[in-house]
Amino acid sequence: MSDDKILKDLQNAILGYDSTAAVRAAKAAIAAKMDPLVAIEKGLAPSIEEIGEKFEKMEIYLPELMLAADAMRAGLALLLPLIPKGSKGAKATVIMGTVQGDVHEIGKNIVSSMLMAGGFNVVDLGVDVKTIAFVEEAKKAGAKIIGASALMSSTIGSQKDIVDYLVSSGDRKKHAVLVGGGPTTKEWAKEIGADGCGMTAVEAVKLATRFAKGK
Amino acid sequence: MVQLLDVMEKALNGKPMSETDYQLRRFAPKVMEKVREHKIKFDPSNPIQNDNSMADEVFEAGLELLLDVGAYCTTSGRVITYTEAEIKDQLRNAPSKLHFGEGRDRKALVNRKVEDKTPPWCLLGAGGGPCSSDRSFLTLVEGYAEIPETDGITTPAITRVGGMRVRPASPLEVLAAQRNAVLAREACNRVGRQGIPIMNSLATAESDIAFAAATHPKFGMRPSDGYMICCMDPMKVDFARLNKVAVALSLGGPIGMCFGPLLGGYSGGPEGTAVSNVAHHMMGILTYQASWLLPFTIHLRYVASSPRDMLWVISTMGQAISRNTHLLSINLNYTTAGPCTPMVLYETSAAVTAAVVSGLSIESLGVATNKHEDRTTPVEPRISAEVGHAVAGMKRSDANELVRKLLAKYESKLAAPPLGKSLYECWDADARRPSKEYSTVIRRYKAVMADLGVELRPEQ
Repeated sequence: MSDDKILKDLQNAILGYDSTAAVRAAKAAIAAKMDPLVAIEKGLAPSIEEIGEKFEKMEIYLPELMLAADAMRAGLALLLPLIPKGSKGAKATVIMGTVQGDVHEIGKNIVSSMLMAGGFNVVDLGVDVKTIAFVEEAKKAGAKIIGASALMSSTIGSQKDIVDYLVSSGDRKKHAVLVGGGPTTKEWAKEIGADGCGMTAVEAVKLATRFAKGK
Repeated sequence: MVQLLDVMEKALNGKPMSETDYQLRRFAPKVMEKVREHKIKFDPSNPIQNDNSMADEVFEAGLELLLDVGAYCTTSGRVITYTEAEIKDQLRNAPSKLHFGEGRDRKALVNRKVEDKTPPWCLLGAGGGPCSSDRSFLTLVEGYAEIPETDGITTPAITRVGGMRVRPASPLEVLAAQRNAVLAREACNRVGRQGIPIMNSLATAESDIAFAAATHPKFGMRPSDGYMICCMDPMKVDFARLNKVAVALSLGGPIGMCFGPLLGGYSGGPEGTAVSNVAHHMMGILTYQASWLLPFTIHLRYVASSPRDMLWVISTMGQAISRNTHLLSINLNYTTAGPCTPMVLYETSAAVTAAVVSGLSIESLGVATNKHEDRTTPVEPRISAEVGHAVAGMKRSDANELVRKLLAKYESKLAAPPLGKSLYECWDADARRPSKEYSTVIRRYKAVMADLGVELRPEQ
């Protein structure tokens, strides 16, 4: 199979929201000994960026965005381990989750998908994530960034707990903490000592890019 | 009738499925399928749609959607399905009239029809907007209770206890939720409306334990209040929410399920969101044992109810429900703009008009996307109620013209709305009235509304 055909298949898998096709195309790339970075940067990445732009314009909606991100994740799972250490790969690892006591997941899912579209490795811990789990998972994954989502005015206090925990444990400088969700504001982020507040998914990706190399 | 134990049985024995599979591979594609099959189409030039057959198609699509996908229990990881007979039986047995409140403030929430002259039930307040202090909480609720049209109160949310920010499912949340109940009742007492019902079941109580603690009669809640429980989008429930249902049923309080399928979220565009809203109504009377419903769909990008496609969703799902059921449905609206701006008044006027002429009652409102502390006043719900009463009985075609003219005043500013002023910058708590600046804004707004054919109360 030609490189062009493989790249086209990778692109179409994302645009078709098809995880199975993404795995098939990634395996074809590996079989053809294609540079995995090329497969990612010229195959998967342009399509997921296109998906992100379409979502921003509301030409597609959340299910399509998440299915495309799933397909991207499936392709990356095969290709990323083949990239030699020290080579350019994902921009950074981000630990994402909805804070303790809060089970709302839509905002977190949107930002996770858009971060993946922006070239980040996202570890999504789900909802109602304990403060200590954010911190321990960040340590385990060597993540530079923790993203904490909250939808309720009664739950955003848990965002403060993450920052406070990092301060108390002496790890504050190791991780940037970005907050977001319904009741969060830039003033709130400043008040609790977070590193930023993404008022939209696009802004969240910009903030993550700023902190990709650390604080 | 499906009852709580039936729901539990279904939640424990339904088809196992992951949450992702339910929402992405079962719910979302089925919504799109129903939209296609029923040929439902958003018409941007007519934000308040006037097509009865379209409304009926949306109703059928919603009914089929619930039948096909059921609800989902995130605790057990199972799908809760209902038969057509169960759904129709529950619809038949749902109340068309409920009384709330006590003494002279005891009133009836009644089913409304399209273009109904009956004024909407006016559930007024902050819809859970955050408050910085007990002082601002009391100022707001006193102001809401003094509005002549207020039928029920939707309180703000207390965010601090003893100087500490509330933490979910902690003693801080329990104490804050209990104080929410006490202060809300106290505020109504202070202005002589002791019997007015509190209907958002304590905005501060997100967890089941805080809900159970704060709804204890010791803190002032009564069976004649409304017991609101929020559903997770799309059509999801968990044991914590069912715990709230069990508590509310034991107190004899009528449960209202609030639900907000996002426009742009799992339900897709405006067409799918309208269908999803209809399905949520029926899912609510079954899964959440609700006897009244509270849709609050908002726009994913603008976090508001006032964009053109959102107005279409409100009017279409409202007509679908009111033409085909006798359910009690109250639409909650959010604005992008803040207090002391003309835009906030135009936005809420448009959303309220869309709801009222389509057979819904109103909960007003979340101001400036309801995220900023103390960025709301008693003015915005009062104006919403005045508009709600003024447009009751208006023809949909006239309402469509009105809303198009209102949209022309704010639509281009939705992406960067003015946040206006905070509570004490534009509300005089001692005089219990808006500041001079805000009064001028209101008078000008009312003059514009009069030019558009909507006569509101003369502003003092």
